[in-house]
Amino acid sequence: MSTTTLVAGGGTATSRPSPVRTNRRRRLTGLLFLAPLLIVNVLVIAGPALTSVAYSFTDWDGINPPSFVGWDNYAALAGDEAFVSALGHNLLWTLFFLTVPMSMGLLGAYLLSRIRRGRLLFQTLFFIPYVVATVVSAAVWRQILSPTAGIIPVLDSFGVPGMDGLNPLGDPELALGAIALINNWQWWGFLVMLFLAAMQSVNPALYEAARLDGAGRWREFWHVTLPGIRPTLVFLLLMTIIWSFLVFDYVYILTQGGPAGSTDMLSTLLYRTAFGEGRAGHASAVGVVMALISATTIAGYLVLRRRLRWEV
Amino acid sequence: MTYQLPRRDMFKMAGGAFAGAWLLTGCGSSGGGSSSGVEYWGAFPTPETEEYFRSQFIDTFNESTEHSVSMSTKQLTDLASLTDTAVSSGNAPDIIYSPGPSTSVNYAQGLKTLELDDYATEYGWEDRLLPWATQLSRVEDRLHSVPTSYGSTVLYYNRAVFEDNGWTPPTTKAEFEDLCEDADSKGMIPVGAGNSGYPAQSEWYLTCLLNAGLGPHFLYSVLTGDRDWSDPAVVDLIQSMKSQLDKGWWGGGADRYFTNTDPDMCTGLATGEVAMYMSGTWSFSSMGSFFTDSGNDPEDWDWAPLPSLADDVDPGVFPLAIGTALSIDSGSSDPDAAAAFLDHIMGDTTRSLEYLAVQGENPPPVAYEASDFPEDTDPRVQRLYEEIPESTNIGYASWTFLPPETNTALYTEFDKVITGDMSPKEYTEVLDSTFHQELGAGASPAPFTPQ
Repeated sequence: MSTTTLVAGGGTATSRPSPVRTNRRRRLTGLLFLAPLLIVNVLVIAGPALTSVAYSFTDWDGINPPSFVGWDNYAALAGDEAFVSALGHNLLWTLFFLTVPMSMGLLGAYLLSRIRRGRLLFQTLFFIPYVVATVVSAAVWRQILSPTAGIIPVLDSFGVPGMDGLNPLGDPELALGAIALINNWQWWGFLVMLFLAAMQSVNPALYEAARLDGAGRWREFWHVTLPGIRPTLVFLLLMTIIWSFLVFDYVYILTQGGPAGSTDMLSTLLYRTAFGEGRAGHASAVGVVMALISATTIAGYLVLRRRLRWEV
Repeated sequence: MTYQLPRRDMFKMAGGAFAGAWLLTGCGSSGGGSSSGVEYWGAFPTPETEEYFRSQFIDTFNESTEHSVSMSTKQLTDLASLTDTAVSSGNAPDIIYSPGPSTSVNYAQGLKTLELDDYATEYGWEDRLLPWATQLSRVEDRLHSVPTSYGSTVLYYNRAVFEDNGWTPPTTKAEFEDLCEDADSKGMIPVGAGNSGYPAQSEWYLTCLLNAGLGPHFLYSVLTGDRDWSDPAVVDLIQSMKSQLDKGWWGGGADRYFTNTDPDMCTGLATGEVAMYMSGTWSFSSMGSFFTDSGNDPEDWDWAPLPSLADDVDPGVFPLAIGTALSIDSGSSDPDAAAAFLDHIMGDTTRSLEYLAVQGENPPPVAYEASDFPEDTDPRVQRLYEEIPESTNIGYASWTFLPPETNTALYTEFDKVITGDMSPKEYTEVLDSTFHQELGAGASPAPFTPQ
């Protein structure tokens, strides 16, 4: 943009401000637009995050002044059975959510994309669990799976095998899987919606070309649909890994990490360590490890994206 | 295309951004210690209880003194952690809540609370409070908190069910085991137990077990570090409970323990599916509703002191528990007003016992005469608060007398004993190492000397 200025001695002349000044001004404008968001970020995210990192190197009960202990909290984590067990549960959880809901979501979306009549009905039915508050669906599922008042004694009374004494949330062998299935009940319908939206944006001409080349349904899905929805798929895989290490709500509501730590996650362990045991320094170290896992996942994704030249 | 922002607009935006930042900072620093009166955070089991407290304690204080107090209501389950965070960040309300002495010890050591000795003298608190309560509220011989509610754990039972079966509340280990066997043979759960929804529920049963199976004197020596948690007597006691759990005596067995809830057990007691239930006296206010809701007579519930679970322990031990201890924030702008409010809460016997009679809320640890109780007080409730001050068999509730990490280990690690992932000996060794670390760090409340 140019400006017109009056030149001494009469007449007018068109002058352009120096590029350096324009650039500086442009940068300043951008920074000012960003400033409110930046301030919020510094206050509520960066500040507490950096403070947590600092506290992770201290012995702190959350009340009294912290004392510096170096890497002791991290060294203690390595030998902490509860931490190792919780980390293992998070890994199992990640594995489950990278496979089961993803497969169900892809399959559901693909099947829905093939039909026209009744699609809206199925979309609505699949999506309803997602809009139910977690605390409500958890309470309902706890009742359903109750060994005394739920569906299990009813099925047992009809002679359904395996129901006698079944207690999914009270059995250390079954509890984690039961919670994962409950969470999946709410989650997979949401994935269907996202995948369906992505599939609908795939160019129909590609499907026509594939069919002309003699591709069947599977080849069509593998060579046209999947590459077509790759940005959505990769994003959801990435977020699934990150969310799997942050999972808290269902576990806390249904079992609070029990029985006997069989459903403990890093998040529930962190909460209990900080607020139950008053070991805020140790809990901060757990939090830093969780953040590092997420950061590593994102870094891995960025490296892959650059090497494979993904346009995501 | 680019747009150059006029300099005046840039200044406006910069001003807006700084104003936003200032507002945010302001939001972050709001908290207690305001000059507009004493700030108090309360939490209540029902809206009716909150309304009662507001009208009988807050409004009466504001009307009868030159001070003013404002109450902010929190969720019962969140109050402790909210207070922790507020205290830690220096934004605590003037009156600091803690769910027991172990937390208030921590606040006192961090110099977050004021010494109350002068106020105690001014208001005569130590003359009124039961001696054990005063002793427990002291940190390095200075009073830092005032207990405003206390209770115990007892054995609940259904009078109608006991009459039908010809039972009487057990007082000895043999009677307890005979009754358990009989109830088990009749398809009942002998002793209600479970920790679904609230893992810390196990601490109720363990408190009963430790007090009834070891006795106050033994437990005192453990709490002072003179004996180890891994003492064979403790290991044997945990082993005996594990064996009873495996037989299905507690909560119907290990397979049901983790899905039983407290309401399940109270309902079972009302319907006759559960023979006995060891729980806290906080259930006095709600037990009748479980009988009513299940179509039974609410007059049928009753309680008995805990039986002895060892030959050398006297029956009828009352493990004492402080439900609420209040302190004054060291940064309070008006500590005199805060102290006056503390006195208002715990200093008026009539008001406290009305609260107990109408809402079932536990009163402060004060010696009460029979004539102090309002006429409409449930005699079952009144009996407890007449018996405890008379009793010499007084024990220790884990959540009141254990430091926080040890108490958390007490119930979280016990899950592993139930599932068989940890032996009773390993369990007591974990307790021992955790406890001695905390004892060494001065985080353990001083237990009163047993009588």
